[in-house]
Amino acid sequence: MRLSDRSPLAIYALAAVLALAELAILWQALHPNVSADYRAYYIDRTTTCLPQPVTGAYVLGTELNFRSGGDETRELRPCGWSGPAGDGMHSVGETSRLRFAIGTPQPLTLMLELTGVTLPGPAKQRVVISVDGSKIGDIAVTPDKTERFTLAIPAKALGESGFANIGLDFPDAINPGKRVSNTYWRSVKLTAASLSPAQPG
Amino acid sequence: MHSPSLDTGHDKPNRLVLLLPLLFVVSGTLIRFLAFRYAQPDTDWTQYFDALCRWDCGWYVHMAESGYDTFPVPSRVSAGNWAFFPFYPILVGLIGKVIPLPTIVLASLVSILTAYAAVVAAWPLLGRNIRAYALYAAFILSGPLSFYFTTFFTEVMFVLLTTLVFRFIGRSDYLGAAGAAALLSATRIVGVFASLAIGIKALMDYRATRGTWRGVIGGLLGQPKLVLAIFISPLGFFVYVAFLNYWIGDGLAFSHTQRAWGRMIDNPFIYLWEGLINWPDNGALLSNSQILALAAVTGLVCTVILAIRRQWPAVVFCLFCILIPLAAGLASMLRFMAGMVPVTVTLATLLGRNRAVFAISLLGLIVSAWFVTLAWLGGNVALV
Repeated sequence: MRLSDRSPLAIYALAAVLALAELAILWQALHPNVSADYRAYYIDRTTTCLPQPVTGAYVLGTELNFRSGGDETRELRPCGWSGPAGDGMHSVGETSRLRFAIGTPQPLTLMLELTGVTLPGPAKQRVVISVDGSKIGDIAVTPDKTERFTLAIPAKALGESGFANIGLDFPDAINPGKRVSNTYWRSVKLTAASLSPAQPG
Repeated sequence: MHSPSLDTGHDKPNRLVLLLPLLFVVSGTLIRFLAFRYAQPDTDWTQYFDALCRWDCGWYVHMAESGYDTFPVPSRVSAGNWAFFPFYPILVGLIGKVIPLPTIVLASLVSILTAYAAVVAAWPLLGRNIRAYALYAAFILSGPLSFYFTTFFTEVMFVLLTTLVFRFIGRSDYLGAAGAAALLSATRIVGVFASLAIGIKALMDYRATRGTWRGVIGGLLGQPKLVLAIFISPLGFFVYVAFLNYWIGDGLAFSHTQRAWGRMIDNPFIYLWEGLINWPDNGALLSNSQILALAAVTGLVCTVILAIRRQWPAVVFCLFCILIPLAAGLASMLRFMAGMVPVTVTLATLLGRNRAVFAISLLGLIVSAWFVTLAWLGGNVALV
């Protein structure tokens, strides 16, 4: 039977079914059922760093080279990095993360070798460093100057997961151009890092 | 843009209408192939289709082969392919289940067929004027931007479906228009605005028939097929949203994932102005931003022409299809404008009016195809 042969009531009923289905789909779309990481990055936009699954495979005490041609570090970088390039791994966005497998929680020493980006901006790039969400210190990185920073990580800052999740927040991250999303802002370049058991005493 | 004839027999394509685009299929393929050989002499000729598949084309190939990304994205990036609407890549993927060709080869052949169909379908919208028709066929199949319509981009399906929507709208066939619009809304996000064009046409028809706006709401709601058409036309969009709800848990993932590309929403006219005044510093005649901004300006000028001609359904469709992408920046604006049927059909009818202008335009389209294809193969950012 052709649609034109059907009674107007049947056509209105079909339209009503479609309208209700579309309303239901819209309602569901406005109430997403997603993970906290997804919501923070895509919907609330409260972070520029969407953690990707990485193994964090790492032998404590190993110093890693983050320049191109250096060590393979993909499994230590959940998010917030671009590269590697010849001058290191560039931070992108306002937060970058590193993830190291550490086994049993113990006092550790974190070493980061960083260089500030040379884009027009503040004289120093502040970097707030946290472990598993607890702040362990902040440092100031100078543009175009490579420096090593060492921070102590107390055992109580580490969770029971067997990993150290290092967060680097960049409150002075530089917008590289007009109307560039903060997911593309720049701050530092990472050239080397290590996580070692703290020396006694 | 012309209205199709109420007598469908008038719009039936004759032999010339069917054969002329084939000539441009051949010339376009030849020009693009020779440009490929010139640009990449050391590449094997069998890599022709792969060489022309650049930028978003790669995403569509992946979608046709593997479907949509899960979350987290398997390649461990924040840019999910949910940004790309499903109809065309999934159609190619389904055809690929039957015809075992490499995806890009199959997609290119399907695109050429679709482009041919889109050109023939546009015959009535071009006023059944052979010069306008020749220009339009040359533009789509053998013109400077013909690689958009003959490799693997959604633009070619967008053009075919938009053409069908406006053919049905021209005959006040709301259900026919809604069927094409439903597929259009699953092809590109802006396709959903074809629903508005159908609504505007219904309003115009009511005014033309009754001579007044009085009782318009009741008058429109009293047309059951129109009411049904209004809810059918965005159906493709809603089906995709429902799929994303199921697949990712976020029905608006197609929009949210844009964050990974760093798109910033702002006033479209600010983007336009900043593009226009972004002069080149490398000795080029125009910067990439200027080329993209001028493409948008061309679209807006054609929209004004459509408004002067009181073709309000096309005006509303064009405004949304230009301003919504422009609010996220100038990126891809040349491609978007190339796929805007009311814009390109209007230009073809204007340039086809005068015999001399027609000849120069046709020559310009064919010659520029060579140079722009070389720019495409060279990775020119204005063509992204």
